[in-house]
Amino acid sequence: MFNTLQKWLPKIILSPSIFLVTVCIYGYVAWTGYLSLTHSRFLPNFKWAGLLQYNKLMENDRWVTSCINLLIFGVLFIIISIILGTLLAILLDQNIRQEGAIRTIYLYPMALSFIVTGTAWKWILNPGLGLEKMMHDWGWTSFEFNWLVSNDMSVYTLVIAAVWQSSGFVMAMFLAGLRGIDSSIVKAAQIDGASMPTIYWKIILPCLRPVFFSAVIITSHIAIKSFDLVTALTSGGPGYSSDLPALFMYTHAFTRGQMGLGAASAMMMLAGVLAILVPYLYSELRNREQ
Amino acid sequence: MTKFSPGRIFIYSILVLFCAIYLMPLLVMLLTSFKSLPDIRGGNLLSLPEVWVFDAWFKAWGTACTGVTCEGVKGYFWNSFKMAVPAVFISTLIGALNGYVIAHWRFKGSNLFFALMLFGCFIPFQVILLPMAATLGKFGLANTTTGLVFVHVVYGLVFTTLFFRNFYVSVPGELVKAAKLDGAGFFTIFFKIMLPISKPIIMVCIIWQFTQIWNDFLFGVVYSGSDSQPITVALNNLVNTSTGVKEYNVDMAAAIIAALPTLFVYVVAGKYFVRGLTAGSVKG
Amino acid sequence: MATLDIKQLYKRYGKSAPNTLEDINISINAGEFLILVGPSGCGKSTLMNMIAGLEEITSGDICIDGKVVNDVDPKDRDIAMVFQSYALYPNMTVRGNIEFALKIQKMDKDARETEITRVAQLLQIEHLLDRKPSQLSGGQQQRVSMGRALARQPKIYLFDEPLSNLDAKLRVEMRHEIKKLHQRLGTTIVYVTHDQIEAMTLADRIAVMKDGQLLQLGSPSEIYNDPADMFVAGFMGSPAMNFLHCSVEQSEHGLMGSLVCDQQQQHQIPLPEHLGKYAGKSLVVGIRPEQITHVNPYKKDKPLVTTLNLKLGVLEPTGPDTIALVTLNGKEISCRLDPDKPATMGENLNLMFDLSSAVYFDPNNEQRIR
Ligand SMILES: Nc1ncnc2c1ncn2[C@@H]1O[C@H](COP(=O)(O)OP(=O)(O)O)[C@@H](O)[C@H]1O
Ligand SMILES: [Mg+2]
Repeated sequence: MFNTLQKWLPKIILSPSIFLVTVCIYGYVAWTGYLSLTHSRFLPNFKWAGLLQYNKLMENDRWVTSCINLLIFGVLFIIISIILGTLLAILLDQNIRQEGAIRTIYLYPMALSFIVTGTAWKWILNPGLGLEKMMHDWGWTSFEFNWLVSNDMSVYTLVIAAVWQSSGFVMAMFLAGLRGIDSSIVKAAQIDGASMPTIYWKIILPCLRPVFFSAVIITSHIAIKSFDLVTALTSGGPGYSSDLPALFMYTHAFTRGQMGLGAASAMMMLAGVLAILVPYLYSELRNREQ
Repeated sequence: MTKFSPGRIFIYSILVLFCAIYLMPLLVMLLTSFKSLPDIRGGNLLSLPEVWVFDAWFKAWGTACTGVTCEGVKGYFWNSFKMAVPAVFISTLIGALNGYVIAHWRFKGSNLFFALMLFGCFIPFQVILLPMAATLGKFGLANTTTGLVFVHVVYGLVFTTLFFRNFYVSVPGELVKAAKLDGAGFFTIFFKIMLPISKPIIMVCIIWQFTQIWNDFLFGVVYSGSDSQPITVALNNLVNTSTGVKEYNVDMAAAIIAALPTLFVYVVAGKYFVRGLTAGSVKG
Repeated sequence: MATLDIKQLYKRYGKSAPNTLEDINISINAGEFLILVGPSGCGKSTLMNMIAGLEEITSGDICIDGKVVNDVDPKDRDIAMVFQSYALYPNMTVRGNIEFALKIQKMDKDARETEITRVAQLLQIEHLLDRKPSQLSGGQQQRVSMGRALARQPKIYLFDEPLSNLDAKLRVEMRHEIKKLHQRLGTTIVYVTHDQIEAMTLADRIAVMKDGQLLQLGSPSEIYNDPADMFVAGFMGSPAMNFLHCSVEQSEHGLMGSLVCDQQQQHQIPLPEHLGKYAGKSLVVGIRPEQITHVNPYKKDKPLVTTLNLKLGVLEPTGPDTIALVTLNGKEISCRLDPDKPATMGENLNLMFDLSSAVYFDPNNEQRIR
């Protein structure tokens, strides 16, 4: 009796989690997928609508804007974070005194909520009293900075705040990668007469390819899920000029009573994640087999 | 010690410049929170307060309006604790047990389950928001702290399991075999051998989960009711409440209050925080 | 003390996987020291784990003291195991490690103390009792892991490559210690190693395994002098047995095998008459390095002894012997020369081949020809 219990224990322990993961992740994804194919508005409505919601989505100006914004925001955020992160990591890897303290400073924004970050930057970028006023006080009287209230520029304020929050993290990843490189490789290259920039460009950075890929995956994941930052910083405004899909989904599903449309937009977000993730996982698995 | 050549001076100046850039927003927040409103209009972001006043802090904590009520953020601050502490505890415990099973008591299908879980780390939570809302409603957990704890446990589980599994696979299987031969069963091995050597990963897990749950906004805004709102939601409401004059000093004080617990954790246990960040970075 | 019988044992990991163990039959007497040897991946650890009850049995039986224990839990089999990685519980002191099993058996405190003291004295680890495993050297950890096994006073001990992680000197020391322990305690031991000296010196019997099969089971001298096939013959002994492929001819001096040295010269070696049916065909002569030596005048006229004049290749002085490599049939073979007699590389030397204890194999199935 006791022995059979022992035999079943592992399964018993794992089964609640198996149940929760199956239902609350995969089941719910299917559920949302189903909702996106119905006429649901304020309440779930199980009348079949086919691809109607998706068609509505494609014709929805706000959705198109939010997708374009995501593209702009995502690409800039990823590129700047990675360049900045790499640069800071390389500089920090030069036997810097007080490296620990500097690292702590670069990384602390990661401990903050995006809501806090958004609140802070909303104040800093305030058109009347923020950066602009400071520059005027400091003597640069022609300085103008009104991105937060500009239809064309508000999406770039998201980039500023997100880079501030996450680039330190990218730096930490690259720094860990740099520390993982066998130092004898560098010594060998030095003996071969390579200069430091050549060593970095030709030997070290290529070694960091995997770090580079995971940094892209993670930052793009942050970008796609960005909801708190845009809510706190611009609320998608002015108008919906800085809207992002995550905010679009929330607004339509929960405040505008467009559940079907919200579900469809959520499914599109999932598709976006998969479009990045699946090729990555595929190449990872293939590399591992080789 | 390395000599200070022009090259190194250049490196140091860039590093220091970036330190200034990263610190600037925090400094601005602090300075602003100690200013009075006229002082804010008169000075600029980085000017020191004419007089250092704490009014904004008291107001943010006790009387500022967050939507319909005007009781400051203190209630929400405790709401966040009431939500985060049980959620962190439960998800860490379950994660430890799961990781232990997946690493050392494999059975048919346990690896498949792990793969499913791993993949689950990547889904954007927007795809589960609506069904989860319906489920919470069905079980009477909508707008309750219990409901929020449940949601955070379910979606935190995936990460805690991942942490512990990755830690426990590095523990040699022979240790478990030796213990089995010594007569130890499933729980004896877990509590007497595995948990005592898991301190670092427990730290990582607790810190990671606490930061994630404390900082969460999405689940908070969707699933909480007026008396179970976490601090992030309250902060957002406070900042965006559009009655009367904008009190930037109160906003900043509230933002710092919302950030304090996680900043505190970061300063005290930064090592574990960074480790968790890199290990659980899939969550983003 | 207990007997251990393994009967027609099979193991497959997964339904469609190939057999990891195939039809293993071993009977171990009470108090016997059995050694399992074989290349890595041949299934030695799997077999040990199955004996301990840590792996399921696919088919067949394992009996302890005549009782089938297939479905008995590891903890109820009364077996202790020492692992290559020692598997000490890192969170417990040495005392805690030794005590752990006793506590689970609910032995009372005084009895535990007595037991710990006994074991600690036996292994000379008294001064280490309050340290954590991480504060011990490899050799000390090894002793503790043996201590943990000894404290249980089990019926059977299993050792899975217990000395592989130690350096050479310590390994010899621990080997002696294990031998002494076995003589003193007289318990049944199954011991895995890939070190043949360990196998030869410790074992009452040796089981040689390959690809999940048991190739030969016998005393060390049987395995060494009377191997069942080319694999066993080549596996035991260092330097390994030489294999000479030669074609067999019936000549006026009796049965002869012909060989070609690196100067394209034909050489003949005498073969025993019972191989007559191989005349006109080829076979493999297995001859150990110590059977190829400087010319020994006392042996010269014995049957099945011949002298060949061969060019010496590389010489490797090991101290007690000098191993010389010569080329025969395009293959290097090793000879064990007396280090006191002159020999230089490149020189032509008369080497005496003593085939009286050579063994012969069929080149097609690599089995012994008897
Ligand atoms: N848990 C397992 N699952 C699947 N295959 C295994 C497992 N353990 C061992 N094997 C396989 O069984 C074979 C024998 O392994 P093992 O008994 O460890 O060999 P040895 O100890 O002789 O080196 C190896 O080919 C190994 O890959
Ligand atoms: Mg092995």
